[in-house]
Amino acid sequence: MVTVKINGKEITVEDGTLILNAARDAGFEVPTFCYQADLIGIGSCRMCLVEIEGQKKLQPSCVTPVLHGMSINTESPTVVSARAGVLEFLLANHALDCPVCDKGGECELQDMVYRYGPHKGRHAEPKFKFHEKDYVLSPVIIKNSNRCVQCVKCVRVCREVVGANVLTSLNRGDHQEETSFLRSFLDCDQDGNCIEVCPVGCFMRLPYRYKTRPWDLKGADTVCPYCATGCRMVIEHRDGVVIRARAQLGVGLNSETLCARGRFGFDFINNPNRLTTPLVRKRGALEPASWEEAMGLIKKNFSVGGGKVGGIASPRLVNEELYLFQKLFRTVFNSPNIDSSSRWDPLAVESFVSAASMHEGGVSIFDCMASDTLLIIGSHLSDENPVTDYIVRRISANRRMNVIIASPRAMKLDSSATQLLRHLPGAEDSVLEAIILNLNYDKLPDETLKPVKDARLEALLSTAGALDKEIKAIARKLGASSTVAVIAGTDFLRAPQSIPALGLLKDLLRSRGKKVTVLPALDRCNQRGAWEMGVHPGFGPGYSRVDKKGLGCDGILAAAEQGELDALYIAGSDVASMYPDGEFAAKALSAVKFLVVQDIFLTETAKLAHVVLPGASFAEKEGIFTNQEGRAQIIRKLLPPPGKAKRDFDIIRAVGESFDPSFGPKNPVLVLDEIRKEAPMYGDVSLVFNNKKNIEDKLDNRAALVKGAQSAALKVSRIEPRADLGGAEQFPFRLVTGNHLFHSGMLSRMSSSMTGLLNAAVIEISEGDADALGLRNGDKVSVRGAACEAQMTLRTRKGSGKGMAFVAENFEDAPVARFFRRGKGAPRVAITKI
Amino acid sequence: MNGRTKGFNLLELIKKVVFTDFVKGLSITLGYNVSRSITQRYPDEEKWIPYRRWRGLHYLNRDAEGRELCVACELCSKACPTQCITVVPMEDDSGRGIADRVAKVWKVDLVRCLYCGYCEDACPTRAVRLGREYETACTDLASTVRRREELLVPQALAENIEGGVLVKSRLVRTPEGIKVEPDLRRHKKRSL
Ligand code: SF4
Ligand code: SF4
Ligand code: SF4
Ligand code: SF4
Ligand code: SF4
Ligand code: FES
Repeated sequence: MVTVKINGKEITVEDGTLILNAARDAGFEVPTFCYQADLIGIGSCRMCLVEIEGQKKLQPSCVTPVLHGMSINTESPTVVSARAGVLEFLLANHALDCPVCDKGGECELQDMVYRYGPHKGRHAEPKFKFHEKDYVLSPVIIKNSNRCVQCVKCVRVCREVVGANVLTSLNRGDHQEETSFLRSFLDCDQDGNCIEVCPVGCFMRLPYRYKTRPWDLKGADTVCPYCATGCRMVIEHRDGVVIRARAQLGVGLNSETLCARGRFGFDFINNPNRLTTPLVRKRGALEPASWEEAMGLIKKNFSVGGGKVGGIASPRLVNEELYLFQKLFRTVFNSPNIDSSSRWDPLAVESFVSAASMHEGGVSIFDCMASDTLLIIGSHLSDENPVTDYIVRRISANRRMNVIIASPRAMKLDSSATQLLRHLPGAEDSVLEAIILNLNYDKLPDETLKPVKDARLEALLSTAGALDKEIKAIARKLGASSTVAVIAGTDFLRAPQSIPALGLLKDLLRSRGKKVTVLPALDRCNQRGAWEMGVHPGFGPGYSRVDKKGLGCDGILAAAEQGELDALYIAGSDVASMYPDGEFAAKALSAVKFLVVQDIFLTETAKLAHVVLPGASFAEKEGIFTNQEGRAQIIRKLLPPPGKAKRDFDIIRAVGESFDPSFGPKNPVLVLDEIRKEAPMYGDVSLVFNNKKNIEDKLDNRAALVKGAQSAALKVSRIEPRADLGGAEQFPFRLVTGNHLFHSGMLSRMSSSMTGLLNAAVIEISEGDADALGLRNGDKVSVRGAACEAQMTLRTRKGSGKGMAFVAENFEDAPVARFFRRGKGAPRVAITKI
Repeated sequence: MNGRTKGFNLLELIKKVVFTDFVKGLSITLGYNVSRSITQRYPDEEKWIPYRRWRGLHYLNRDAEGRELCVACELCSKACPTQCITVVPMEDDSGRGIADRVAKVWKVDLVRCLYCGYCEDACPTRAVRLGREYETACTDLASTVRRREELLVPQALAENIEGGVLVKSRLVRTPEGIKVEPDLRRHKKRSL
């Protein structure tokens, strides 16, 4: 600790604190442009100059650490005039076109000049102009360099946080322009973080261009509705049209960053195709109907007790709705047949929850990043959970830690890894077991190790497609660390035979006295919440034991196909598009005697329904999302649901009430009270809305993490691997799937910004494989599997593993769901040029 | 009260006998009868043309090349104390405006406007001005909102016309209703 004097006030701060932060702690304001807590300081803008007693020159406080006994003045006449001077120079070539600029009204340069600036310029020379017209950098970014203050934050965030590294500073001096190389069109992550950090109106959102002034916007604090990273953001509307989503510096775990989906993908809210009225099937076609009519049909066709009914709820609903949904089935319909995922086997889910220790409570990503070793496996983190990727990149760059990435596909985060492992797709089990074998397991009690003991390292290495020395190196690093964090992604759920090995590795390392945390990397915003609310056939709220286990999505569809299902209630899930065997799902759904679909769009599933109920999007309701870490975060309502649509909460409650008038609780607040009782994990979770600006990068709101469950009824089951669909000779590539960087499930397909970035499926293979086939990036190819054939554009990726083809599951023109066959393993495909 | 009122006042008596007050009053009446009339025979015969500083109905300006000066910065609507201006910007680089940012909507609600002129003060491009049009009475509320399209049409009283005068006018029947048509060529100066 050192003690310094700032403007005469003594303050004691930690060693190495920057003068800037010490001054801010002491309650003095120091203006900055180029400083940002999570970026490496460069001290380039000189706005933060302060006077240090005994030093002749003013010093930039954002890069100068305090020294004991320093006496600093942040408001002396020299400092004040230096600030004004800096601003005068910044304005010397500045276009001063505030009336046209989209940043006007919330521009840091405007604010600074208003506060500190000379209100008169003395430069009479003509201004230097980079260009006349704003130029478009990407489908979502437009640039005007004439307004730049050369803080270089855009370049730094793109390099240090996003890792895309596509921006640079062209030229020098007052001709320095931060832009893409040669101002060319950007083929990048399109996340717009460069826009968010830009203090002025240089980088700007294209979809928001010339639509409003910031003071016309009404906003609501919310959480991104796409992946489970749980980024906090504010969505803002003007006249009922949501036109901007923005992240805020120092708020939420993401601070100012978002990915493309979060920042630009909100516009499905105002999609004209939103459902605005209930629909009822009449003479074969869905026709608009009243709520009374729709509810009447539901009352008539859902039997309480006797018949077989099922329910599937989307992991994008809020906790209150999910809780009520499972309560509706468990108590009103007396049916345990509920699920929250159309893609995954309930047994796999239960095993994964247990293996990843999700019942032990929330795990902060920042804790994971404080460990000695981080192992990322089973997740293409850079595309699936981009902001998690940013956090890993940013923090790992600044501390000594091992970052091990095991993945068949190359990803952006690879550059942050201290060790990379390219294994064969679906072989996470072999990789983990090989690591376990190398960890000298003999010291463990026998029982847990049975499955591993039998496994032969050699065979494992060949099924994993890994080298012995790679596995040994990983094992060594894990063995030498006292804290280990594992980020385990959804590939474990896609290839559930790998799950036991994950649990085993965790137990093994723990038994050695290491602190092991597992962070599940999930791809739906409230997937964890859905499980914790008990929307699962095998466990109840808070992972509690249930008396009667039921059918999951797969079982429900199987029963439906046999004509045994009397009624099915699907809330928000697009089962027909996402279930891995599209044909089977469509057949099964058509065979359901009475299908109710509640959604915000007429999805493929809704088209098959007898009754369609219009629900609300995340912007139209309040509630809680639990992100992948187990952080419970509130979303707030911005708009009323469109037309006759209703909050999903009200719909589920109304359905319940039509059978049992006492069904409740009657409002979300009371439901939350009940959740706190029924799922003690949520008992004292703090929902105090953490929206305070926290420029000091303390983003970890730990009070929001859920606690451990007292009694979890979970076990890890061995799930036998299924044979690949199709022979290796005929179909050389194994199909791997997941979300595209610009899409998440089917929801993002309703966003015109996102479809503007990518609207058709691409198939991605490694550069080596493409060369061998004589194919090139951008070629049109035909992809043929045993069950389906589709045409796509080819993308090659440097560094990916061999024999693997990735197709994102988000496109209807190349429906991945149709390559899969129920009961079969991963499909294999052949790729030919057309 | 002083002593004089108690006694007999000869002067007062004489005044009464010769009707002094009556004559005084009558002379004022007669004077008005012969003096020039100050009644403005508005609207069917004459119309008052206000001074240039007059703050009446808004209009939107164009530059010499006919491009709209308004860049839809919304400063006027922000400055307006009654919040009666609505501006919605849009992008249009076809040369419609002086910048590629133009107004999609620019409307003012005259019922709420207090003609303070803050909007013209706020405007960075001198696009919005308060003109000398004051005949804004109407029979339905909807026509109190004036939109960009109407406001871009130059007002009858161009800036160069001197104000502070009465001109001849007549009422004309138009499809939109009865209008006052001033004859700007013939005016008489009259101080009020
Ligand atoms: S959008 Fe993201 S990746 Fe693209 S230039 Fe901006 S910061 Fe870099
Ligand atoms: S473009 Fe914006 S963020 Fe980048 S250097 Fe210029 S002012 Fe800074
Ligand atoms: S999709 Fe995920 S990473 Fe991207 S902004 Fe949303 S929550 Fe964050
Ligand atoms: S004159 Fe005053 S009240 Fe009327 S529109 Fe302008 S600013 Fe508003
Ligand atoms: S009239 Fe002037 S102040 Fe109003 S929006 Fe147009 S340019 Fe801006
Ligand atoms: S903020 Fe310190 S030099 Fe830019």
